[in-house]
Amino acid sequence: MTIITTTTAASSESEADPEGALPEGGTPTKRKVTMPKFGVLFGATFLIALTLMAIFADWLPFIRYPDAKVLVDGKAGRYKLGPGTQAWFGTDGISNDVFAKCIYGARTTLQVGVFATVFGIVVGGFMGMVAGYFRGKVDRVVSIITDCLLSLPPLLLAIILINRLDDYKEDAPWLGWLSRKWQIVLTLGLLFTAPLARIVRAQTMSLREREFVLAARSLGAKPGRVIYREILPNLVPAILTVAFTGLSILIAAEGALAFLGLGVEIGTPTWGKLIDENRNKIDTAWWATIFPCIMLFLTVLSFNLIGDRLARRFDIRQAGV
Amino acid sequence: MAGTGTAHLRDPNEALLRIENLVVEFPVGRTGLKVNAVSGISLDVLKGETLGLVGESGCGKSTTGRAIMQLPRPTSGSVLFEGNELTKMSGDSMREARTRMQMIFQDPISSLNPRRKVRQIVMEPLSIWKRGTAAERDQKVDALLEQVGIDPQRAAESQAHQFSGGQCQRISIARSLVLDPSLIICDEPVSALDVSVQAQVLNLLEDLKREYGLTLIFIAHDLAEVKNISDRVAVMYLGKICEVAPSDMLYRNPMHHYTSVLLNSIPVPDPEIAITKTAIEGEPPSPVLPPPGCRFNPRCPAAQDICRMDEPQLREIDPGHFVACHFPMTVTPVSLN
Amino acid sequence: MSDLIQASSRDLEGPLLELTDVTTHFKTPRGLVRAVDGVSFTLERGHALGIVGESGSGKTILSRSIMGLLPPRGTVRGGSIRFEGREIGNLNRKQMRGVWGKEMAMIFQDPMTSLNPVMKIGRQISEPLQIHLGMSKQNAWATAERLLQDVRIPEAKRRLDQYPHEMSGGMRQRVMIAIALACGPTALFADEPTTALDVTVQAQILDLLGEQRKDRNMSLILVTHDLGVVAGHTDEIAVMYGGKLVEKATTKRLFANMKMPYTEALLLSIPKMADPSHTRLNAIAGRPPDLVHPPVGCRFAPRCPYAAPKCVAEEPPLIEAADDPGHLYACWYPVGSPEYHEAKVRIAERNATLAGAAAAGGQ
Repeated sequence: MTIITTTTAASSESEADPEGALPEGGTPTKRKVTMPKFGVLFGATFLIALTLMAIFADWLPFIRYPDAKVLVDGKAGRYKLGPGTQAWFGTDGISNDVFAKCIYGARTTLQVGVFATVFGIVVGGFMGMVAGYFRGKVDRVVSIITDCLLSLPPLLLAIILINRLDDYKEDAPWLGWLSRKWQIVLTLGLLFTAPLARIVRAQTMSLREREFVLAARSLGAKPGRVIYREILPNLVPAILTVAFTGLSILIAAEGALAFLGLGVEIGTPTWGKLIDENRNKIDTAWWATIFPCIMLFLTVLSFNLIGDRLARRFDIRQAGV
Repeated sequence: MAGTGTAHLRDPNEALLRIENLVVEFPVGRTGLKVNAVSGISLDVLKGETLGLVGESGCGKSTTGRAIMQLPRPTSGSVLFEGNELTKMSGDSMREARTRMQMIFQDPISSLNPRRKVRQIVMEPLSIWKRGTAAERDQKVDALLEQVGIDPQRAAESQAHQFSGGQCQRISIARSLVLDPSLIICDEPVSALDVSVQAQVLNLLEDLKREYGLTLIFIAHDLAEVKNISDRVAVMYLGKICEVAPSDMLYRNPMHHYTSVLLNSIPVPDPEIAITKTAIEGEPPSPVLPPPGCRFNPRCPAAQDICRMDEPQLREIDPGHFVACHFPMTVTPVSLN
Repeated sequence: MSDLIQASSRDLEGPLLELTDVTTHFKTPRGLVRAVDGVSFTLERGHALGIVGESGSGKTILSRSIMGLLPPRGTVRGGSIRFEGREIGNLNRKQMRGVWGKEMAMIFQDPMTSLNPVMKIGRQISEPLQIHLGMSKQNAWATAERLLQDVRIPEAKRRLDQYPHEMSGGMRQRVMIAIALACGPTALFADEPTTALDVTVQAQILDLLGEQRKDRNMSLILVTHDLGVVAGHTDEIAVMYGGKLVEKATTKRLFANMKMPYTEALLLSIPKMADPSHTRLNAIAGRPPDLVHPPVGCRFAPRCPYAAPKCVAEEPPLIEAADDPGHLYACWYPVGSPEYHEAKVRIAERNATLAGAAAAGGQ
């Protein structure tokens, strides 16, 4: 039996936990675990399988080396094989296993995509947070930069940047580490910075006015700490969502660049390059071009599906919060 | 209604907090107009006192609370806290001063970071200022959580949205106490809570005030709530103070016409009394273009010409009871100026 | 006239509203939320009824159930709702549309979001007139202007051309009232109409509602958590807790002769102007019940200071007070009963021992 006491000591027994009389009724503490939706399931499965295969390709018996010749009757053939038991995706013009090239290509493609995205998040996120939190002059500078970046046609920018870097590389030995791959990472990352900065800035500006941020400031926290501990954790849902969707766009962009001849160095396969190299054989050996297309498509789709789901899930949480 | 009246201020050496001629203005977009949120008010709070600040929306009470905390800094005026002039303090010393005064906000759930565990939130102030050893911090936080009626174990595992409004408000209170402040500003702390939970939190505030010797500033629009918890009450209207008096005196003998209107508008849970009330006409004007003279004059039943021209100053009508009105409601006639 | 209302089936003599065992449950991932769990009462014509309760009591859901304004999916409804003798509890949305506006109207809590921000005020008021009453546009606008004057909005003609954002909260609420009254409904539901408003504006709005009710001989159902609001503006009060009706009486009798410990506790926990400052408030311990798994016995038992084993085990039925006809309550040991007084004595003794122990234990 609960007692209402009128004793004054704050430590009196029954007032110690006045709301503990009931179990955690009213607010759900654990969600019922339900099967994830089909889209996410598919996307996640595909991506995990792909990543594992790409990482362990060297040790997996069913994946040949990308430059290994597929022998038919002891002889290397040209486009002899369509998709079949010998080579799952068939072979291309130099008797390489298309499937193997796709898997090894996945390495590069995914690397480029992920690094570019991370670059964009780190640089763009930082700019956005700083602009949104401090506003004023900082905001204007950042906004000008992002507006410029957003108004330039991205493809043009990419082409110019990569070509320029090519030129600089010749003159400056200290840029030796800058392989084509990293040029692409930098370029794509730079392009991703602007939209991310915009989103992070908007979110930061709205979070900044929330009372828990005000509370943190009133506790004497320095701006750095407020940003790091209060604002950043609340940005994570938005950033994650954009990251996944952005990743898919960047991967497709890499493919486009490779298609235009601005891809990574010779010898390193990427899907874009594969598509480009084999597109004129599409009548006779369609598999050499189509399968990399399919891989690209499925990967982009998977990231999109996960990104969508994240958006919905975090949106609801945000609204509830 | 006075901006510049300081007659009601007491000995500066005894006051924990003393505001003089506080002005807070916000620009309205790019129109060049200003919102005159607070137009020159003065208040003081003695150590251990609870000052109630009451008024309707737009009167500037919340803005006053935040201006005291310098969040953001007021447009002009002086805020003396424990002898230090806050408006002139640099960033670092201001941050230091903030540990001595804390604020509790209206929306309980929004005052807590939704992504962090609640116990961490309460621990945060100690981490910021690196007070005590890890063990000491743990002890302090757990003790405070228990004191406000929250299970520390549950607090360590759960986030804000898993608690009820009343519990969140208690957590906020615990957080505000962890640095041993001397002043706590409560900005509508129970307005967003259910009726039966409000009393719990109000009682808790009273208990804690007594135990820790706190000084409180209680900001609310509910006069009954404010009267219950405060020693002294200041009534605000459109950025100015109408009346300042000890709480019982204010209720028994309101002298400003606005205070009287406010008291009459409050719905009383007693059908015998309730039926005879009549309401006042009109609504508060916009703080962008406040009326000249006494700001209440357009709606005041006793307004005369002088009220439209001359802004009244706060003056003492009865001992301890200050009113800013040319024609206050008193039993005995009072001469002008 | 609504095509659903057969003149012969409308009962103009009997009670306006008859609720019999009305239930509204919602299917949620957590389980079945029993928002309204068996509510029965009668409302006579021209009366003002106050439905009082906290959040989670079911008062808002009850008023929406009567109006038929519930989400279409995931809702399980039961019981009977008779309006002017006609069963409306089982009508679908299309059929209810004939009732809305003409017979029943509702005003909501937040005037900011209840008006269409991109439609002029005049149009928002005149539209129902044109649709329900078949008025011509000219007539409708003229009526709209008159309605704005009725709700005491100055410069009514000018306001017709304004948009909601050009008006203050109190004025928007008046506009909402004007829209609700436009087609002359028989019953007006007001769901926390003044909670979001300043206290001086609140008084004006409540007075306005009372005035309009008398002028139009309309019934008013005022849903609120504020006992003060219902005290001055209602003829009868129904108190809800945990989805159930726990007490119903005329306003005067409710305050003079409360039966439910919950109502008493609610009244005691409100700070009152007449009390001296620093009066200790009698807080109600605990929290409102979980509507998915409500307590087996009396729903207030976990928080009731006078709860006895019987209260926890068995749910008390809604009965009529012997000393007060028309006064309904659901309690085994209501206020004033011998068991209640015994329990009070026990509590006082326990308080005394606790206080003594605390004092003896030392600070």
